[in-house]
Amino acid sequence: MIARAAPPVLVLEDSDEDFDTALEAAGGARLANRVFRAKTGDACLALLRGEAVEQIHPGLVLLDLNTPGMDGRDALIAIRTEPALRHLPLVVLSTSANPRDVARCYASGANAYHVKPVRYLDHLLLLRAVFSYWLTHAALAQGPGLVS
Amino acid sequence: MTTEAITPAPLPWEGQPYSIKRHGTTITNCDAEPVQTPGCIQAHGALLVLRQADLTILQASENVDRWLGSPATALLGRSVASAIGEGAAARLRELVRGEPTENNPSYVLTLEARGDAPPLDVVAHVTGGALVVELEATGRGDVRPAPDYYAMVKGAVAGLQATRTVRDFCQTVSGEVRKLTGLDRVMVYRFHEDGHGEVVAESRRADLAPWLGFHYPAEDIPRPAREIFKQIWIRPVPDVGAGLAELVPLANPDTGEPLTMTHCTLRGPSIMYTEYLQNMGVRAALTMPIRRDGELWGLIACHHYSGPAAVPYEVRAACEFFAQVVSLQHGAVEDREQLGYRMQLEGIHQQLVASAVQERGLAALTEGKLTLLDAMDAGGAAVYHRKQWWRVGKTPSEPELAALGEWLHQRRELESTDHPVYATSTLSRDYPPAAAFADVASGLLAVALSPSHGSVLFWFRPETLQTVTWGGDPNEKPTVPGPHGPRLTPRRSFELFVESVQQRSLPWKPVEIAAADRLRLLLIELVIDQAERLDELNADLVRSNEDLDAFAYVASHDLKEPLRGIHKYAHQLLDDAASVNEEQRRKLEALMRLTLRMDSLLESLLHFSQVGRGTLDLGSVDLDEVLGEAVEMVEARRTERQTDVVVARPLPRILCDRIRVRDVFVNLLSNAMKYTDRPRRRVEIGYLAPDEAGDRGGAPPGTQGHAVYFVRDDGIGIKPRHVEQVFKIFRRLHGRDEYGGGAGAGLAIVKKHVERHGGRVWLDSTPGEGTTVFFTLEGDPS
Repeated sequence: MIARAAPPVLVLEDSDEDFDTALEAAGGARLANRVFRAKTGDACLALLRGEAVEQIHPGLVLLDLNTPGMDGRDALIAIRTEPALRHLPLVVLSTSANPRDVARCYASGANAYHVKPVRYLDHLLLLRAVFSYWLTHAALAQGPGLVS
Repeated sequence: MTTEAITPAPLPWEGQPYSIKRHGTTITNCDAEPVQTPGCIQAHGALLVLRQADLTILQASENVDRWLGSPATALLGRSVASAIGEGAAARLRELVRGEPTENNPSYVLTLEARGDAPPLDVVAHVTGGALVVELEATGRGDVRPAPDYYAMVKGAVAGLQATRTVRDFCQTVSGEVRKLTGLDRVMVYRFHEDGHGEVVAESRRADLAPWLGFHYPAEDIPRPAREIFKQIWIRPVPDVGAGLAELVPLANPDTGEPLTMTHCTLRGPSIMYTEYLQNMGVRAALTMPIRRDGELWGLIACHHYSGPAAVPYEVRAACEFFAQVVSLQHGAVEDREQLGYRMQLEGIHQQLVASAVQERGLAALTEGKLTLLDAMDAGGAAVYHRKQWWRVGKTPSEPELAALGEWLHQRRELESTDHPVYATSTLSRDYPPAAAFADVASGLLAVALSPSHGSVLFWFRPETLQTVTWGGDPNEKPTVPGPHGPRLTPRRSFELFVESVQQRSLPWKPVEIAAADRLRLLLIELVIDQAERLDELNADLVRSNEDLDAFAYVASHDLKEPLRGIHKYAHQLLDDAASVNEEQRRKLEALMRLTLRMDSLLESLLHFSQVGRGTLDLGSVDLDEVLGEAVEMVEARRTERQTDVVVARPLPRILCDRIRVRDVFVNLLSNAMKYTDRPRRRVEIGYLAPDEAGDRGGAPPGTQGHAVYFVRDDGIGIKPRHVEQVFKIFRRLHGRDEYGGGAGAGLAIVKKHVERHGGRVWLDSTPGEGTTVFFTLEGDPS
């Protein structure tokens, strides 16, 4: 098994409670990965592009769909159409079970779509499973910046 | 074979002076009859033509012997004094010198009775350079004192001024003329646009049959006769049977010309006319024109049946004067009446538009208390708007109207942007298929409301033949061949009349056409307004659909997000076991349960809001497969109890929306499994083919002939008084946490799905034994 550096996780989430749950899930999974938060789609893209204080190269991006300003749907499209970012694993976590949302997200290039459960324990378990899968089991592509 | 050029037959009197007695006329040439130079006078009087300069007798009627005692030939070339005496000749000379006698017959004097001859009125006028002297026995000298004609005419004129309508006016005219003349029947006869005439007023001896309302063909009064009534104000024929006396010689020896008798009281009448009168039993006639702007509007026609009726000069003068007053006044009355009709049209049209606006539809024009027919004098009316017809009164059938409408749209008239109006009284001439419904629609007045929508208003007028009483009974009188060929008789008159009014209606008056055009303008706003309103409604609908989407989104996301937070904090407080006592624990657990319940309510609401939307995705669907999927979905959710799902026989394959029908089964199965107290449940799913016997549990109307599907359980059942409620959204019959605590949307969702398929859903239930839910779907087993 090849040991790899623990890449950070970027979470686009405007709800403090839900972000808290994500942090708890990451802690419960004993992940060494740092967790970054963006409350808006614009902030999310700024972090990924290095337009903010710090540029991050996350191993996983979690997207909530309904965020103020640029929402998760547009952020998803923006990431998937930007050559430097399109390799990132994008997992949608949304309250919406609307089939149109589900279909649109996959069509825009989401790697997975999950409906956030209202029940706290279910929510926590779901997030742990997502982290566990993407951060420990899935093989990730290298960003173009690293190849060059 | 040879081709002959058809040339008109030469007139019998061509190249020589005309004489009624010698030549006569037939109905084929009466329009060419020289009625102003008839060569003959009525034989009840005598006539002399004098040279104006020396009063020498140039011509005399052949019967002058009877009245003056000397034969015509003996008088020719002699002074008039030898015929009427020195005194009368002197008076005549005086008159010619002093009075305007040109074409203006004036009374000269009355010759006293001589021998057998009665007293004779002498009337003279100058025409064509000759002095015409007419002598007529008018009963003067009777012991009766002459009535005061001046007072009578004054009274008659006052009567006219009091009338308001043309009909009243004409009625007054007939009454006053009868008072003036004492004749048996006085009619006001009005010419219609096509030349045919109608008796519009009548005053008659009580025992005579009424002719009021009778119509007569144009041919009854030949064109030359009409022309002459533009020049004279009175036409007496006091003795229809008196016969004719020819002038000797026929032509004036000084000029070689026949005498123009236009202004002669004694002018010989056409044989056509006297035979016509005799056929009707008329012994004396008197006619006066009613003129409007120089045109002949009608006639005042007097008939006398009991014998000849002399009309003395004073009476003639009074009648002439009265006819002139009538002509001047009647235009004013007609204008007043037209204005009244116009006001009526406008008033009712405005009321119609108001109710059309109120009821938001053109149906108000034909279906309300007032209709188009209350305004316009028409037999029927129709409205075509948005591919729909509304009809009132007598109209062609809808297919006939549709074809007519299509033809009409090809017409240039309706393309006009200012006045898209088409009006005709002879529709079948322009549009031959209209012959089929000529009885109800020989006349058509149509206005286009909106060329883009093809909206049109129609008014129909029946064939005149259907509406008038014709004058002259075709069966009563035999055809009378005259000495010069066939003559106009009542029978012939009727036949001509039928020809002239076939497939022809009364014409549309300018005031009617104008009113139709104005109604169009008023309605256009409504029609356009309606189109705009529809657009607005559509926009509203789109907006409200968008609102519903937004609402569904709020329900699913924005409301759920805080719920998740509440649930989380309650959970975390509960986890902190050390600081929580039993009471607090119970409350925190209730809080968490409530958030989950709210979540389920929101989910159901969202689901329900989506059920009614979108289009049906119809396809051939194997219901067995769909049922299998539904069972799996339901069982996956609740595994705590044992359920036997029984499907007695395979379900058919039908045309339906697969996802929606699966949702129907999911909801029904879920209910069937939920509402039970038994440890082991039994749910039966089945169907009955359209003609199959079986329990349909009180199927509602509209379900016959369709397959019925059912889901039957052995659960707790529903009390009859609750049956109505269960199909309503969020209507629960049990406590929140009983029977799995459903949201109460299941049957409401089922009902919506089923109804979108055109089906019905109902149920049959016995409390304690179970419930069967039945439903139909539009698709039958294929």
